Amino acid sequence: MPRFDTLNSAWMVWDSPAPAPEGAVLEYTRELERFLADIERRAFRIAQVALRDADDALDAVQDAMFKLTKSYASRPSSEWRPLFFRILENCIRDLQRRRTVRQRVMTWLPGPKEDPDNEAQDPLDQVADSAPPIPEKLMQAQAMQQLEKSLRALPARQREAFVLRTFEGMDVAETASAMGCSQGSVKTHYSRAVHALRAQLGEVW
Amino acid sequence: MSEQDHQAFEKRSRELFQESVDGLDMRIRSRLTQARSAALEAASSSRPALLGWKVWAPAAGVSAAAILGMVLWLGSPVQHRSAILADAQSSFEDLDLLASSDEGSGDAIEMLQDDIDFYDFADKAVNSVPPA
Repeated sequence: MPRFDTLNSAWMVWDSPAPAPEGAVLEYTRELERFLADIERRAFRIAQVALRDADDALDAVQDAMFKLTKSYASRPSSEWRPLFFRILENCIRDLQRRRTVRQRVMTWLPGPKEDPDNEAQDPLDQVADSAPPIPEKLMQAQAMQQLEKSLRALPARQREAFVLRTFEGMDVAETASAMGCSQGSVKTHYSRAVHALRAQLGEVW
Repeated sequence: MSEQDHQAFEKRSRELFQESVDGLDMRIRSRLTQARSAALEAASSSRPALLGWKVWAPAAGVSAAAILGMVLWLGSPVQHRSAILADAQSSFEDLDLLASSDEGSGDAIEMLQDDIDFYDFADKAVNSVPPA
């Protein structure tokens, strides 16, 4: 099972790997593009579930893409997926930390408690869709919203295990690589996540 | 929960998730494509970073964070300082939050550096209050 124990320190390494032949670079760049194109939408939704904000989710995905392509593009392509999701999860946690600290700072400040980065919403986003809602689609959207809400209430590791196993379809070994823990821990986190979600969502969900 | 229930739950969760992925609007799709292109372009044009920047970044980050802390502390009006003291428990929680760093995560100093505009705004907001 591939492990990435040096991931943290690898970000601090300033030397690039030895240059690869041009043809090889072109080939793995193409392969990397295919990989990212395949994964980006799911990655976005996974980040959005955790962060509850589309722009933050886009930032997290873009950051993860940059870090993967910059530092790990030359790694075997079989390692990219767990690596990418491990980086993404770290980006998500960094954003959550940043948000928490900002909220604390804002409570200290005099005057209106508004974050300067809270941009005005696009008025078009507020316009109701003219097409009549399709009941089945509506029910599905509501069910997904319930699932997202319940996922956000889970401890981070349980949420991570659930989204990687269920949404991303990773097996236990790959999930363990992505989470940087043992396969046993993955099974435990996953099992607890499923039980908690079932308890919250009820039998009828 | 039976194995059958378990599988049905997984299947439904997966289908709903995939449905939401397929329903992403064009704005999001376009921005994801742009992000991918930018990441690939940056990787293909990247050069070894300057030695000085990486070596001095952690020290500079610690200094910046210390200065920032002092500015926010000394620059805040008295009533805010007492509020801060009263909220000391929360402050320690924040320190804990900043100090914690998961493996592979950008560290707290990096986070502060990235957020420098926000702290600049916070400093100005604190100093814009006339003394009581």
